[in-house]
Amino acid sequence: MTGPAAITLRGVGKRYGKNTALDGLDLEVAEGEFFCLLGPSGAGKTTTLKTIAGLEQPQAGTVELGGADMAGVEPYDRGVAMCFESYALYPHRTAYDNLASPLRSPRHRLPAHEARERIGEIAELLGIGALLDRQVGRLSNGQRQRVALGRVLVRPARAFLLDEPLSHLDAKLRQAMRAELRAIGAVRRTTTLYVTHDSVEALALGDRIGVIRDGRMVQTGTREELWHRPCDTFVARSFGRPRINLLPGTVTPEGHFRSSDGAYELPLAVPAPPGTAVQLGVRPRDIGLGAPAGTGGGPALELTGAVHVTELLGRATEVTVRIGGQRLSLVVPRAEAAGLSPDRPVRLSVAPESLLLFEADRPARPGRRIST
Amino acid sequence: MPGRTASVPTAGHGAGAGKRAVPAWRRSLRPYLLIVPALLLTGGILYPFGLGLYYTLFDFAASKPQPDLVGVGNYRRILTQPAFWDSARVTVAYAVGAAAVETVLGVAVALLLHRSSPVGRVLEKILILPLMIAPVIAAIMWKLMLQPSVGVVNHLLEPFGLGGVQWTDTPTGALLSSIAVDVWVYTPFVAILALAGLRSLPASPFEAAAVDGAGWWFTFRRLTLPMLWPYVLVAVIFRFMDSLKVFDIIYALTEGGPGDSTMVLQIRAYLEAIRFQRYSFGISYMIVLWAVVYLVTMVLVRYLGRIQNRAAEVER
Amino acid sequence: MRRRLLCAAADLALIAYFVFALFPVAWMVVLSLKPTNELFSTYFSFTPTLDSYRTVLGAGDDQGVPFLRFFVNSLVVSLGAVALSLVIGLPAAYAAARWRFRGSENLMFTLLSFRFAPELTVIIPLFVLYQQLGLFDSYVGMVWVLQLVTLPLIVWIMRSYFSDLSPELEQAALLDGYTRKQAFFRVALPLVKPGIAAVSLLAFIFAWNNFVFPLILTSSNAQTVTVGALSFLGGDRPKYNLTAAAALVSVVPPLLLALTIQRYLVRGLSFGAVKS
Repeated sequence: MTGPAAITLRGVGKRYGKNTALDGLDLEVAEGEFFCLLGPSGAGKTTTLKTIAGLEQPQAGTVELGGADMAGVEPYDRGVAMCFESYALYPHRTAYDNLASPLRSPRHRLPAHEARERIGEIAELLGIGALLDRQVGRLSNGQRQRVALGRVLVRPARAFLLDEPLSHLDAKLRQAMRAELRAIGAVRRTTTLYVTHDSVEALALGDRIGVIRDGRMVQTGTREELWHRPCDTFVARSFGRPRINLLPGTVTPEGHFRSSDGAYELPLAVPAPPGTAVQLGVRPRDIGLGAPAGTGGGPALELTGAVHVTELLGRATEVTVRIGGQRLSLVVPRAEAAGLSPDRPVRLSVAPESLLLFEADRPARPGRRIST
Repeated sequence: MPGRTASVPTAGHGAGAGKRAVPAWRRSLRPYLLIVPALLLTGGILYPFGLGLYYTLFDFAASKPQPDLVGVGNYRRILTQPAFWDSARVTVAYAVGAAAVETVLGVAVALLLHRSSPVGRVLEKILILPLMIAPVIAAIMWKLMLQPSVGVVNHLLEPFGLGGVQWTDTPTGALLSSIAVDVWVYTPFVAILALAGLRSLPASPFEAAAVDGAGWWFTFRRLTLPMLWPYVLVAVIFRFMDSLKVFDIIYALTEGGPGDSTMVLQIRAYLEAIRFQRYSFGISYMIVLWAVVYLVTMVLVRYLGRIQNRAAEVER
Repeated sequence: MRRRLLCAAADLALIAYFVFALFPVAWMVVLSLKPTNELFSTYFSFTPTLDSYRTVLGAGDDQGVPFLRFFVNSLVVSLGAVALSLVIGLPAAYAAARWRFRGSENLMFTLLSFRFAPELTVIIPLFVLYQQLGLFDSYVGMVWVLQLVTLPLIVWIMRSYFSDLSPELEQAALLDGYTRKQAFFRVALPLVKPGIAAVSLLAFIFAWNNFVFPLILTSSNAQTVTVGALSFLGGDRPKYNLTAAAALVSVVPPLLLALTIQRYLVRGLSFGAVKS
């Protein structure tokens, strides 16, 4: 990578009274990168954005933009634009005036006709061209959210900070806007830090993704890295619906995985000390129904169990299978699941390379992945 | 949605050209700068208060411009003077009487208005009228009406055989008349707050009670009153504290008379300090009243906090 | 049937209260229209005249009570007091709403204690002080002392309005490229404008209706209507019609203002303790 990172956070800490919002957070976003910050509510996502924007003062650590330390630099001098989850639109003004606000400010002033042109472009892009004369109070939540996004996109900025900018749109519009945001990101190459609690959104948008929990960065990486090599069960659980299966068990002296009730054993690709309490992770879409067919990746592993329940997910079906005392869910094409009724015995196949091995979860500390 | 993507503006001012760092100490100074004027002004008001406290340690009076230090002598004199205790009794009687009547009447008016009958909707618009009239003007109005010989009240009572009542000329009559004026002015205050409270009560408990077939009295005792109480309490606190320091109404209506029958503490302090120009002694009176009001406020405000918490739980 | 009867009884009770509430004002109107020679001879039947108003608002009565001047004085000191309180109180209220710090809590509590403190505690020392400083019976002196009434009201209520406003609006303005000052004036202030209007009017009314301060701290130059209205009762022959006219004239401004801010009264009257 050439030049300094666009956004660098080192050991940033922020407390509100007794509550710790950020606990030594590290983050690096490269110039022009579209970075998604994923985490549950209360993980410190919004605080991270506000700290970068200069709206909150961290009590520890440093914030750098383009390699320059931002300590004490006012928000209006940082050159970043932020879209608030609450929209933070000026309710007493029209949508147009809200979009025009940055372009009328002393720092980003544009001549009126240029501003009008630019606002027109953005409004059309976001599909709010017809709403510009409306008072913000008379817009729906989805419309407000798009105006808020427009207020960010309309102005030049070294970085966009977007806080759940699509959360209030209906599913269809959200998908369309996601595509649009990706396109904007690709064309503009403006560094974007995008906060969301929706892993689908993060996977769809992010060049890289950071998973945050309790004010700390758990793992950053590309979507492939996070999907295939999650650092712990928390990250593994964060991606994929239905969620990854995490089967508790132990490592046998031969280095096999044995389920906690001893109902089955599977060989492990990674070496683990015998006797360790572990969890075996396997994603529902990595499990096949029926006897293993000789696929390219070596011999598939086989499991047998009984159907517990089936649930239709559009074109696919989620099948929950009982194996001993454990439950395992898998997703198969609808046709394959036809005729499956509860208690019917089934055979399952899974490729050995799709198995992930984690330490057992401990209170407040998800199990780490065991790798070679 | 068009597939077009907005172009980037060419200007390079996104990078924040002149970055000036504001040191942390200046940042933390910011809120203080905003309150400095208010602090100065408050100081300007606290100064005479402090000066007053200082005066009470002397026997400063117009007849004694070169005062001597008397220490707590003024306070000792006040607290051993029967006149002070008489005044204290009158003041408490006035405050309790006025606040009690205003609370009951105000809540009643609020409940009646809450039904929002056509008559009520019209009347509600003029509810605040007495409250916006200066209390001293209200007292003047009532003084004119309560004149024993030519006042309109006695004239209207005459047909009922009640003419010639000595409203403000008997000790009991004077106190009751002053309370009546207080009630006339301030009942809308209680009513307005209680009405706001009634209108903000959640509907669901009442719907549930109606479904259960609860009677009017039960609903009122078990639901309306407990949830309304925090609102009413705010009103009661304001009214009680304010009537402890009543001045205008009594000054205009009776000036403390007849005898000392309406000689509340602020009136007596006024007479001592301004009319008889015994400054130190008059201020000492006020300091005693101030201390009492302050203590009562603390107790009541704390109680209000507890009540508000409890009411919030009831609503949950 | 029983229900209808109850409703009628409730309405009747309401009407009874409002007769009690309105009669004094109505009677003042009657009194003020009475000619002096019929003042004590009749109650309801007389030849109405506007002479009382002419006397009160004109040259004054035979004792020369300059009531119109008192009226102007009331206007000047009340407006002055509200203006000063706004200039000083708005920044303080904003700071107290946006930052939690020891100084602001102390200030807020001290201001609240002004609201409940007996006025004379401060006024009597001030009476002595003003005579030394030459502020006795002056506009400046009155505006200053009226802060005791207007400043706590404005700071407390405006803090509650500012607190209701999401700080993210101003933060958005900062990121739009505005300075903190601009964010305050362009975003926060316009949004609390209705609150400012309401609280200013209420503060004006309270300043106008104040009686103790002008009674003790003014004599003739800066005297206000509340004290002035009493002067007609003096003398050997009380002039009831003039008193009534003066009383009515002096309640007109607060009443007119009050009608325009009905909606905001609850929060104002309860110092922000009750919102509606």
